Amino acid sequence: MPPSTDLLQGTLDLLILQTLAPGPMHGWGVAQRIQQVSKDVLQIGQGSLYPALHRLEYKGWIRADWGASENNRRAKFYALTRTGRKQLETEVATWERLSAAIGLVLGGIPEAQA
Amino acid sequence: MMKEWLTRLRFLVLRRPHAELDEELRIHVEQSTEANIAAGMTAEEAHRQALIEFGGVERAREQCHQQRPGWWMGTVLQDARYALRGFRRNPVFTIAVIATLAVGIGATTAVFSVVDRILFRSLPYAHDDRIVSVGLVQSLERQEFTVGGFFFDWRDNQKPFEAFASQGTMLHACDLVEANPAQLNCIQAQAGFLPLLGISPVLGRNFLPDEDRPNGPRVALISYGLWRDHYNSDPGILNRTIDVDGSPARVVGVLPKGFELPTLQAPDVMLPLALNEGMERKSSPGSPMRTFALLRPGVSIAQAKAEMEPLFLRTRETVIPAQIRKDFHLSIRSLRDRETKDVQLTAWILLGSVLAVLLIACANVASLMMARGEARERELAVRSALGASRGRLIRQTLTEAALLSLAGAAAGMVLAEGLLRAFVDLAPTGIPFLNKAGLDLRIALFTVLVSLVCGALFGLLPALQTPRAVALAARTAKSRKRTVLRRSLVVGQIAISMVLLSGAALLLRSFENMEEQSLGMETQGVLTARIALPGFRYDTGQKKMEFYLQAEAALRRLPGIRAVGFSDSLPPGGWNNDERFADLAAEGKPRPAQGTGGSVVSRGVTPDYFRALNIPIVRGRNFTEEDRKASEYRVVLSRLLAARMFAGEDPIGKRIQRNRDDKWFTVVGVAENVKNGGLTQQDDPEIYFLRQSIAQDWGGRAPVGEVMSGAAPLMIVDAALSPKAVAPWMRSQIAQLDATVPVEIETLSQSVSKLADRPRFETALLGFFAFCGLLMAVIGLYGVIAFVATQRTQEIGVRMALGATRVDILRLIAGEGVRLIVLGGVLGLSAALAGARLLKSLLFGVGPHDPATYAAVALLLALVALAATLIPARAAMKVEPVVALRYE
Repeated sequence: MPPSTDLLQGTLDLLILQTLAPGPMHGWGVAQRIQQVSKDVLQIGQGSLYPALHRLEYKGWIRADWGASENNRRAKFYALTRTGRKQLETEVATWERLSAAIGLVLGGIPEAQA
Repeated sequence: MMKEWLTRLRFLVLRRPHAELDEELRIHVEQSTEANIAAGMTAEEAHRQALIEFGGVERAREQCHQQRPGWWMGTVLQDARYALRGFRRNPVFTIAVIATLAVGIGATTAVFSVVDRILFRSLPYAHDDRIVSVGLVQSLERQEFTVGGFFFDWRDNQKPFEAFASQGTMLHACDLVEANPAQLNCIQAQAGFLPLLGISPVLGRNFLPDEDRPNGPRVALISYGLWRDHYNSDPGILNRTIDVDGSPARVVGVLPKGFELPTLQAPDVMLPLALNEGMERKSSPGSPMRTFALLRPGVSIAQAKAEMEPLFLRTRETVIPAQIRKDFHLSIRSLRDRETKDVQLTAWILLGSVLAVLLIACANVASLMMARGEARERELAVRSALGASRGRLIRQTLTEAALLSLAGAAAGMVLAEGLLRAFVDLAPTGIPFLNKAGLDLRIALFTVLVSLVCGALFGLLPALQTPRAVALAARTAKSRKRTVLRRSLVVGQIAISMVLLSGAALLLRSFENMEEQSLGMETQGVLTARIALPGFRYDTGQKKMEFYLQAEAALRRLPGIRAVGFSDSLPPGGWNNDERFADLAAEGKPRPAQGTGGSVVSRGVTPDYFRALNIPIVRGRNFTEEDRKASEYRVVLSRLLAARMFAGEDPIGKRIQRNRDDKWFTVVGVAENVKNGGLTQQDDPEIYFLRQSIAQDWGGRAPVGEVMSGAAPLMIVDAALSPKAVAPWMRSQIAQLDATVPVEIETLSQSVSKLADRPRFETALLGFFAFCGLLMAVIGLYGVIAFVATQRTQEIGVRMALGATRVDILRLIAGEGVRLIVLGGVLGLSAALAGARLLKSLLFGVGPHDPATYAAVALLLALVALAATLIPARAAMKVEPVVALRYE
């Protein structure tokens, strides 16, 4: 198994919102998708997935509806709300700023040493 | 943002069924299983892997629940329900805590509500912290006063004050003469007086400077009460002319509701002082008044006094005669001191003692909570082993403390209300503001918080330290450490009780001394009648005298009446006229040096005064009925005064002159000394002038409803029958002369007992607090010893098995208690001895370090505390060794 990375607090929310951006999905699907897309680097502990889903739902960023899954089983589907979509945009922007900044710092250290 | 809150609110209101979450999680596991099967596992293995991958289902569920906004509210209710179940299981603990809190909160709130206005609350004037009372004081008048002879000089030349204005010396009776007449209290004030206090009329305006001069327009301000009750809040009152004491005055304003002069009196009508400045400046001394001033910001009273000193010295040189100059001093006091100086000590002592009670109460609550915490250590350990987080356990403890505090606070409020009513009933008239005291919610809240904190703090100790594994086993070293803390709490409680008890015992001894002392006169069967003659009908001394003499004659005709006399005041205390000793000159002797000899009580009496009060005449004779009509003036001296003025001589027949007139008074008799400086003060010498049957001896008048009675004659009746029977007869006799005059009849025993009201109040209150404190301290002691005894049950079993006798066991456990008692007692005794000086001025006939009192208190405390120790110790002694060994 490839080494898993501990997720920063708050990053999980971003990942879930991003995953749900293309369309509604159920909890298991969200976990699988994040794992696949990150090439197994990011593994969501289910223990933290559902609390996160619920938290986002209570915040009104995602909406949950019962529907039929691919193999026609009842499942709970989560979809982005309008506020959720806006929130995703802000969070992506923040994340990009942050990673750019970290990149600069990491790139800058050797120069400073030199 | 708004939408987010709405969503939250929706979820807060709508609960989501548990089943839905369970189903969601189940589906997740199913999907994982299917995926695993698809990956080639057997069905069983697939399901197993799915579960492993998922992790703790229960934990996930719990965490999902915790995401719900406001989920903690449910757990608070859960905690509360759990706490209540616990209280029901342990009623003794619950009642003990609630009762302790109730006493602490109730007593503190009630006492604080009383003393708040005296000590802390700001006075009802703007800049109340800068208003001062300014003037001269001397041995006969301890309250600052000024006179026209230097007031204007001071006002014009002073620097430390922003404003400087006067009111009249005292409230005086006046009559509203109109179709609906009324007797009122009037006061004069300068135009600058209300602005200085920062008071403006609710209706109309203040006096104009033009109106505050002689022969200016006659105007008046009336009180809110008079406007409301007498004029039915008529908005047309302004500019209406009212007739005060026969001269018309135009109403220019209505004073604010509840307005009080800085002398704590409430006037009905305020008139301009209207001094003739030119005349006053030249006169010596000029009109007397009470002057108040507003300090400039940043100027202290000491600075102001230093700055006023040169003015004062100049004044003393020019206005005050050389002989008496030394007796006058400059005094500047804050308004609060002017109003409440003489009750501040009482207020501080009450506050101190009630805070001590609160302290004991808190220690008790802490001790009880700790005991409960220890008893529940195992329960907490089990709960924590079952997965309760530490936060949850702490919250549980806090919930319990909060519930107990709330219950205690509710009970405390009821108690406070009751206590406050009792205080008001019990309190002497001299304590200002008491009739207006209401429960103070701020302080109630404060005391509730204090007790909550001490309960929660000590309740938390066990929860915070829960040694998870160790607590499941039996006793630990930690619990012994906490017992040390509990013991020190008990030592503290005993020490504080010792202080309270000593204070209460000293006051009690002093009160007994006061009650038992000889007054030098008979109070049994003596009644006094105060008759307030309305001044607008009895407007001359002649008319008044006729009325009083008729009343005297009428009462003398009643059966069972032995004597009917008059005086302007009565011993042993209260208001009376004073002469300066130095102002009395004996014929043919050098005058005593001015400023020496202090004051002499002076009374204007009729011959029956001595008979009614049974004051023996030790030399010469009493006044006679003939003396009342004689043309010479005669006096009776008290034995003390006779000895001081005519040492070693026979005073009878000697003549005395007062400084202020040239009348010569012949001494006809010497009366035995009478207690006359209040119940606790040293006796002053006394001079009795004869109230003769001439108009000028009957002309004085007193303000309505004032305890102090100018020079209005007071009727004194000695009856052989019971006062209850005589009083209605007296009333009807007086009513036959004039049915409209108000008569106030009182027995002399009542008025004497009123003088002891203040010490009675102090003694009763301090006694009550000392009792509460002792009770709680003893409960605390009992609790600790009982706890120690149970804790050592096993040890006791071992000792007995090894041959210790029951007496040894008793000694073992009781010794524990005795150590605490001795330690607490010694600490308390030293604190009490150190602090007793504060009580000194309240004590009469007993020193603050009276050994007998302290011995008695120590003995009482020791006995009660020993009893509290012996009960659990005896129980421990009776333990069967076999049972004790098997304990736990």
